Amino acid sequence: MDEFALGVLTNIALFSFLALSAYLLLIAGEMSFGQQAFFGVGAYAAGIGTAMWGWPMPLAAAFAMALGAGTAWLVGLPTIRLRGLYFAMATLAAAEMFRILFELLHYQREIDGDLVGPDGTQGFRGIRWVLERGFEPHEYLALVTAILALVLAGFALVARSRLGARIRMVGEDPELAAVFGVDVARLKLGVVAAAGALAALGGALYAHHNTYIEPRNFDIMLGVHSLAYGLIGGLGTAAGPLLGVLIDIGLLESTRVFQGWRMVVFGGLVAVLLIVRPRGLLDEAVVNRIKRALSTR
Amino acid sequence: MKRAFALMLLVAAPTAALGQRLDAEVDCKPTKHDLVYDCRVVLKEVKSGRLVSGALLSIGADMPSMPMAHNIKPVRAEPGAAPGEYTARIELEMFGDWALKLNVRGPVRDVIVKKFSAREPDR
Repeated sequence: MDEFALGVLTNIALFSFLALSAYLLLIAGEMSFGQQAFFGVGAYAAGIGTAMWGWPMPLAAAFAMALGAGTAWLVGLPTIRLRGLYFAMATLAAAEMFRILFELLHYQREIDGDLVGPDGTQGFRGIRWVLERGFEPHEYLALVTAILALVLAGFALVARSRLGARIRMVGEDPELAAVFGVDVARLKLGVVAAAGALAALGGALYAHHNTYIEPRNFDIMLGVHSLAYGLIGGLGTAAGPLLGVLIDIGLLESTRVFQGWRMVVFGGLVAVLLIVRPRGLLDEAVVNRIKRALSTR
Repeated sequence: MKRAFALMLLVAAPTAALGQRLDAEVDCKPTKHDLVYDCRVVLKEVKSGRLVSGALLSIGADMPSMPMAHNIKPVRAEPGAAPGEYTARIELEMFGDWALKLNVRGPVRDVIVKKFSAREPDR
């Protein structure tokens, strides 16, 4: 497999973290247009950790996740009581605020004769931890896939637990969940923080794959895509958003013949899909049918 | 999966740095065809300023505002006449700001990212 194909597969895996982050909020009943902000927070935090402070990548990724969870929690505090469109707009505004903060962030240090660190709109070059340790593209893909598999295993465990049932209950009917004794605001805040951490982990891995990030990487376009992944792939299972990423990037790559028009073609296809299947391809009904079919065997 | 876990252990272990820090001067000139550019790249080491010849260089491009949505498949650059010089023809998808990704292999290994603005010509 050539390096470009490996890069595409790695990007599919990386954007799956963002897709799962948006999905987690969707099943809790909230639509966020702002998960790209925490993806960006993770990318910058982990990049600063390894490239400027000389930390090993696992420590930098853990720092990125903690920061992602913390910032998401802070955004969630004033916004969590908003519902529907209002919450979506609040997350979009917060994400734009973060993007502007990235543009204002100038923090550089000279390393090996080169200035390294965030330089506002000029971006952040030299996130070389993975490169300097001689990782080949297929090895980095294997690493990202393994971490993604662990995250999916976590989702599967939560889906079978009381916590998973509570999250879905809050997503379906928060008033009814409150009647059953669920602290809706607290649970949603926890979900917001977890989704922030997950997006930040994806961002940390993305920054080290790309070696370069800039504020524009984390604008509204990425937020729309991250939300679309779950809505296309389906909300019935955590595999849904991953299917969404595969369709998104797969379609984009397979429609190269349309060149600059392929986003238009892609947008049209997504619109048709959402009209035909409003809760995505792997919606709850399909997932239940698959489960029943598997259990009767 | 075993291989992936072995890699995770490798990530956790402190290892020696292998990469060489390079810089590049990139000059892309438009051709008579829209969105097609002839690029000249000069590679050099950051620390010593020594020109880097004999490397395998490929050039890709990504639109920063649409990561993954608009990118071009990397093209292989050919060695130029002068030391450290490479040339390549790239074809972008649309006008706007792009991040050129220079992937260097061979005697040295590095990835260099340079910004490039593809402006629509006056007609």
